[in-house]
Amino acid sequence: MTIDPVLTEIYRHRFVGIADEMGVTLQRTGYSPNIKERLDYSCAVFDAEGNMIAQAAHIPVHLGAMPASCEVALRTFPQWRRGDVVILNDPFDGGNHLPDITMISPVFAGNEPVFFVASRAHHADVGGMSPGSLPLSTELFQEGVIIPPIKLYEAGKVNQSVLRMILANVRTPAERQGDLDAQRAAHTVGEQRLKSLFEQHGKAEVCRYSSYLQHYSEQLVRAAIETWPDGIYEFEDKLELADGLDASIKVAVQIHGGEVTFDFKGTDRTLDAPLNTVLAVTESACYYVVLCLLKEDVPVNAGCFLPIHVTAPGDTLVHASRPAPVAGGNVETSQRITDVVLGALAQALPHDIPAASQGTMNNVTIGGKRTDGTPYAYYETLGGGMGASPDADGLSGVHVHMSNTLNTPVEALEMQFPFRIREYARIRGSGGKGRFCGGEGLVREYELLADATVTMLSERRRHAPWGLQGGAPGRRGQNILISADGHRTVLPGQFTRRLHAGDRLRIETPGGGGHSSARNSRST
Amino acid sequence: MHRNRRRIGIDVGGTFTDFAVLDADGLRVYKAPTTPEDQSQAILQGLDVLEIDSSVPVMHGTTIATNALLEQRGARTALITTRGFKDMLAIGRQNRPQLYEFSQSAAPPLIPESLCFEAGERIGSDGKVLTELEVPALRELMQDLKKERIESIAVVLLFSFLNDVHERLIAAALEKELPDVPFSLSVDLLPEYREYERTSTTVVNAYVRPLVLRYLTRLGRVLEGRSLKVMQSSGGTLDARQATLQPARLVLSGPAGGVVGAFTLAKHALKTPQPQIMTLDMGGTSTDVALCPGRIPQTTENSVCEIPLRLPATQIHTVGAGGGSLARVDAGGVLRVGPQSAGAVPGPVCYGQGGEAPTVTDANLVLGRLLPSRFLGGQSPHVLDTELARRAIAKLGQSLALSIEATALGILHVANATMERALRRVSVECGYDPRSHVLVPFGGAGPLHACAIARSLGVRKILVPRHPGVLSAFGLLMADITSDASQAFLVPLAEIAAAPKRLVSVINRLEATVLSRLDSDAAQLDCSLDLRYTGQSYELTVPLSLPVTSENVDAAGKAFHTAHQVRYGYSKAELPVESVAVRLRASVVQSPEIPNPDTGAGNTPFNLADAPRTSVYFTADAPLSIPLISRDRLHTGCVFDGPALVVQYDSTLVVSSGWRGMVDLWQNLHLEWLDHDD
Repeated sequence: MTIDPVLTEIYRHRFVGIADEMGVTLQRTGYSPNIKERLDYSCAVFDAEGNMIAQAAHIPVHLGAMPASCEVALRTFPQWRRGDVVILNDPFDGGNHLPDITMISPVFAGNEPVFFVASRAHHADVGGMSPGSLPLSTELFQEGVIIPPIKLYEAGKVNQSVLRMILANVRTPAERQGDLDAQRAAHTVGEQRLKSLFEQHGKAEVCRYSSYLQHYSEQLVRAAIETWPDGIYEFEDKLELADGLDASIKVAVQIHGGEVTFDFKGTDRTLDAPLNTVLAVTESACYYVVLCLLKEDVPVNAGCFLPIHVTAPGDTLVHASRPAPVAGGNVETSQRITDVVLGALAQALPHDIPAASQGTMNNVTIGGKRTDGTPYAYYETLGGGMGASPDADGLSGVHVHMSNTLNTPVEALEMQFPFRIREYARIRGSGGKGRFCGGEGLVREYELLADATVTMLSERRRHAPWGLQGGAPGRRGQNILISADGHRTVLPGQFTRRLHAGDRLRIETPGGGGHSSARNSRST
Repeated sequence: MHRNRRRIGIDVGGTFTDFAVLDADGLRVYKAPTTPEDQSQAILQGLDVLEIDSSVPVMHGTTIATNALLEQRGARTALITTRGFKDMLAIGRQNRPQLYEFSQSAAPPLIPESLCFEAGERIGSDGKVLTELEVPALRELMQDLKKERIESIAVVLLFSFLNDVHERLIAAALEKELPDVPFSLSVDLLPEYREYERTSTTVVNAYVRPLVLRYLTRLGRVLEGRSLKVMQSSGGTLDARQATLQPARLVLSGPAGGVVGAFTLAKHALKTPQPQIMTLDMGGTSTDVALCPGRIPQTTENSVCEIPLRLPATQIHTVGAGGGSLARVDAGGVLRVGPQSAGAVPGPVCYGQGGEAPTVTDANLVLGRLLPSRFLGGQSPHVLDTELARRAIAKLGQSLALSIEATALGILHVANATMERALRRVSVECGYDPRSHVLVPFGGAGPLHACAIARSLGVRKILVPRHPGVLSAFGLLMADITSDASQAFLVPLAEIAAAPKRLVSVINRLEATVLSRLDSDAAQLDCSLDLRYTGQSYELTVPLSLPVTSENVDAAGKAFHTAHQVRYGYSKAELPVESVAVRLRASVVQSPEIPNPDTGAGNTPFNLADAPRTSVYFTADAPLSIPLISRDRLHTGCVFDGPALVVQYDSTLVVSSGWRGMVDLWQNLHLEWLDHDD
């Protein structure tokens, strides 16, 4: 097999281009603010064996989770017809948490599926015990409609029974329908582009380079890991629970030659709180950290992940099994897993690893009825401080690590929902001091115009994001309820509460940790 | 000769200032080195050389506003926002620029924290005043502003597009208290929803305004009373004095002139009022592409230096691949080209200014596609050193185990792939088939790559302008005089169709605004609506025929479904559609004839066999000896087959084998793919 270094580069452009284009289509046609304004979705292309060839991941938490979906779909359905589309969201069967709905469909060349395209989008509501479907649950069944891998489309025809079943279980069915259509539109685009590649260059060449690109990425990742010092590095960090207790996440990172193993032995057992994750999410966090440490711009595909091993004992909060609640695992626990991995690697790579970032996505969901009686579900995540790196201050008021979603414009949400934003600003001085300072957190204050159910899933309200090498920790986050009479109550990091018209919910997000002691401060 | 009034287009670029003069005798072009310290020097020199008297109107393309943003040297600007939102500009959309990067910095906002101020006030989402503007606080604010030696001010309050009362009150206070400081109100510039984008657009306007005002005032003096119009991002020109009020409309004008030039040229050359073309403008560090589906495409979703700029602009996609793009071999042994560029210094290796990494230009040189003696007519400040380029490419080739020629061809293939992707982005990804479009390459390097890129896209026709290197200046001559305005109008389409009266009054207001900026009563009005399926948050702009009647509104709705189908592959006629904004453009149409004195009669017949020959590599094994044609000899009616190299003062064209060249009445060169197999 001859490989041309020029064609390799050209195919990398082509595959990434296809995934990107799927993403653009999904964003443009989606209905959920999560998709259209906040880019909470991913699209990917897989080969016939289910190896990922390219991914447009705006959300790193989907890195390991997309391959898991494709693997399950291929295992469940050995036979495919043109126009089939499999849908799933079951965390324990190819999904990660219920709001993330994944679709997978084949791309045929001749009579065989040669590639698969997949999309995953965070839907604003999939039912369950609270609007927005990120509830304070104790088992999966409370979190929304569970969709095992099933065919939503068979040979191009929508399975109305499946669709009606799904839509009957969600709060905003019209919006869901629109988002599912958007995902399918993205698939159509991906299929068309891959087909035109076959037509222009032949199946054999396209497949040769799709498999060589994986080898290429693997080589680059191995080469990078080889420059890291061999050894075993351990770290532990806390996850804050609603009842005031903490859960512990532990990792031992073993670097050996060109491979790295992340072992989460010693992590606490599965929780009765929605902060468990499936192993795919834990893998995503580990993959993310390794990708950040690469000096070269490596195409993200299955090859990248071959030198990276992630293990965790079953029945732990980082490797949960049915029917553990997992709603917040994606958004919160994944951030802490990232912190733990960074803390361990900081010992091996002190010149590359940053201090802890805000370590939470500050998930706010507000649901209720508008004055005209129509129901709504609003979900948003808030940025905060990024940890300082060994050579730069952290950014302020941004999403960190596993997330990079946009905010919803104040003018868009006030026209759509019965609440008002009173303040949206940086919190001065909230970044950890140091030679390099952590980024500042944000404050966003909501004033309710009608009674509503509010659910918060947030972390780093008790344990501040840590600094490194003498840098100070960032300021902790705070959730405050200000009632109409001005009375202030500090609320816990996680709660579901009925709030009333005139109540104000003030969310202050954490600052990032500082790096290096301030003695050699640049400001002198 | 009324429609052929003399006129001159002057386009100032980084290296050269280009001139195009149109009069009864035809088109003349000229290039002078740009004088960066005072751009008007080069302009004066050109006017002298071309003997342009003061009665000739000047159409001007300037990058002064763009450069101020790129180099962060605009005015000391203050921002006034609604209380609670003074960090709006700094927070942006709360995403970080790089996804996989532990250490990253964001460009500092155009306005520092210390110059962001708040006004006590609040308008609700229904346009009602929730909190009246607090007068004592406003007075204090005026005092603060005075202390800060502010040069320009941006005012952006929440929901001002529904109710501008507080922005106007602040304006009145500013006029009284700081009479010498120009201010920009968001409601005047962009009365549309989404506060961050409205803020960033208004701030850009305020930031570049004093600089643009100074520049255009000085230029006006230098031009001694000649009429002066400047190019806007939209591809239309506007009187200089009007342009200084809303200079944010100039920021993306750089590549617009080229698209207007290509489009009007194609109207003539292809003999159709609605040519379907794709433009390929390849420069030193980047390439601009656009697809014109029978019209010049417009968008408001623009940004500059990652700052959103939501004003009408010619829809152009830019990629970081150009003549100066650097080639390298990465750790995985794969050849990469760009996006890093050698820039002006050190420039390509062959410039001999110390560059070591080979560029696309170096690859073209070693393959025989650029001739050192012909580069810019031999007048280039750079002598092209082929030997230096060969050595650099040989070194790169060693790590790929490829010969010099194979490596150089590889560099071109990778660069072409980037440009091909850019053209796909504006064609297939927007629902257009590239094969039904004519490729119009221009800029110094576009024609070098056009044949290869056309083949990879299945394009069968290429139109090479007579003067590819000065097409932007030509576009200035051809551009209409235009003025744009918009207004948020969030109403279900069915409601508009049932009772068009409200929309009519909005359009009447917009009409007064756009006409007041034009010095003409013969303007054509074009109205459009931004529409979406209720609940979506991305809009498509579709034309609305005037007057506003139920039928015309329904037609706009139908046009939306069609546009959605083309762009996204599906449409849902049963879903409700809502309007988000209404746009109005007034144009004074300028369609000067391009004289074509060369009818081909009496020309010496062109014989390809007489042409000298030159060696060019199309494959790595051996060079082909192909005809070297001087563009000046290609008169109307000439026909020849590739392969051939066509050289001229401002550009070089590679005609690959399989293409036939034909010269039209204006000496444009039409290339046609001869192989009918595909």
